[in-house]
Amino acid sequence: MDTLDRVDNMTENKPMLSKKDIRNSYLRWYASCEVSNSFERMQSVAFCYSMLPILEKLYKKKEDLSEAMIRHLNFFNTQGIWGTIIHGVTISMEEQKSKGEDIPDTAITGIKTGLMGPLAGIGDTMDWGTWKPLIFSLAASFGINGSISGAIIPFLFAVITFFEGYYLWNLGYSLGKDSVKSILQAGWIQELITGASILGLFMMGALSANFVKLDIPIVINMSGGNELGIQMILDSIAPGILPLAAVFTIYWYLKNKGQNYTKIIAFILVLSLLGSLIGLF
Amino acid sequence: MEFGLALFTGLWYWFWAGAPGYTFHYVFKQPIVMALPIGLIMGDVPTAMKIGASVEMVYIGMVAAGANLPADECLAGVIAIPIALKAGINPETAVTLAIPFGILGVFMDQLRRTINVSFGHKADKYALEGDTKGIGRCAILYPMLVGFLLRFPPVFIANLYGPELVERFIESIPQWLLHGFSVAGGLLPALGFAITIFVIGKNNLIPFFILGFFLVKYLEINIMAAAIFGTCIALLIVLMKRENGGENV
Repeated sequence: MDTLDRVDNMTENKPMLSKKDIRNSYLRWYASCEVSNSFERMQSVAFCYSMLPILEKLYKKKEDLSEAMIRHLNFFNTQGIWGTIIHGVTISMEEQKSKGEDIPDTAITGIKTGLMGPLAGIGDTMDWGTWKPLIFSLAASFGINGSISGAIIPFLFAVITFFEGYYLWNLGYSLGKDSVKSILQAGWIQELITGASILGLFMMGALSANFVKLDIPIVINMSGGNELGIQMILDSIAPGILPLAAVFTIYWYLKNKGQNYTKIIAFILVLSLLGSLIGLF
Repeated sequence: MEFGLALFTGLWYWFWAGAPGYTFHYVFKQPIVMALPIGLIMGDVPTAMKIGASVEMVYIGMVAAGANLPADECLAGVIAIPIALKAGINPETAVTLAIPFGILGVFMDQLRRTINVSFGHKADKYALEGDTKGIGRCAILYPMLVGFLLRFPPVFIANLYGPELVERFIESIPQWLLHGFSVAGGLLPALGFAITIFVIGKNNLIPFFILGFFLVKYLEINIMAAAIFGTCIALLIVLMKRENGGENV
């Protein structure tokens, strides 16, 4: 009885998927995740497409395959690198399901929709909020002097994130659904988010100081031939308070009035042109 | 050369704006990266790099949170860099040229994602039939084909006929308008940084933004130095928090 049980367990836990299947699946996702992005279901087609090498291997019967494909055409949207943990988990759940374990569709969909938000938050902070501006501003500082390294350095970002995604994909697969949930609540991931957020915000501040520019060149003629420059007064209070105010005004708007980027850009354009016309800026 | 350049930029914009390869396409989309091949074609790499880097700086903080593109830096670069090079305008004015195209590109992306909805429905049908190849076509082939019709023609035409037109146009623009655009070029990065603060979404950590800002303003440190200080600060906070038993920051 005991030995039989053990043998049973062994066949059950034997992975049906090879490393190559997992890798193919990731490559498909990395290649296509934003190509078919649509307003209706965002990355759903890309998700389904990336799962195909897995599903084809797991489900030999056409009905089962078709059912699985439909399951993965649901609404899906996350950040393409950190979100890959979800794919890994999904693959491990599909593997269990195909072996006959009782995993309802809603469990798989639930884990997908439940994780896509939090992971997108981490990914946007880490990859888009920290890595990207860091590497690109380094590149820009070379490019501005005419050096071609400005065009080469950015590829560092692509290479780092590609392998980051591959690692997280495999991590999700090996952890499975239960441990992913506990990991998201675990200490180290919270520390990682806090650390990345601090670094990200700090760098955004440093970059703002370099790249956001706004001056008021108005000079008031005082009695006795003295001149009083508005910008001089502002600088003596604190250098760069106008650009800083601009960043936080827009932040306030995003937070309270919604994320209508086009409207904000239009407003900035109109303000700049009007300001230039009347000589304010 | 005009024809070759128009062809190259049109194809470049179509292919990389179509988003093949999540972070790789993103790198190819950047003005500072496309500046190298454009500079090679036009025979002036250093100037192309300077223009590309200036345009890049406008978009450096922009994050497409939830896939909502705040601006299309690829269209901005692919139009502004060749024209600026050809007309011999300085990088600052090139930036002002780029901005309207960066906005136009957003609408093109919205159009693309609207059209893509129909491929989602097509994919549903293929899934019912268990047609895996069909899903593949919906995921890559169809969106890329639509992208070609949408993106290649305007860039091709603009770079074939555009430079002379723009050159004459710029000479006729009043000074205040040009200056106004350059003011906008200085302000637009603020949107990018505001979006990033919003995406990070931790109000109680905002003092770190202000710290980074004034560290650069008062001490005039460069980006690499800021990255070093920032990493140390982040590590210190996290490690000290751990020592204190992990109370909330």
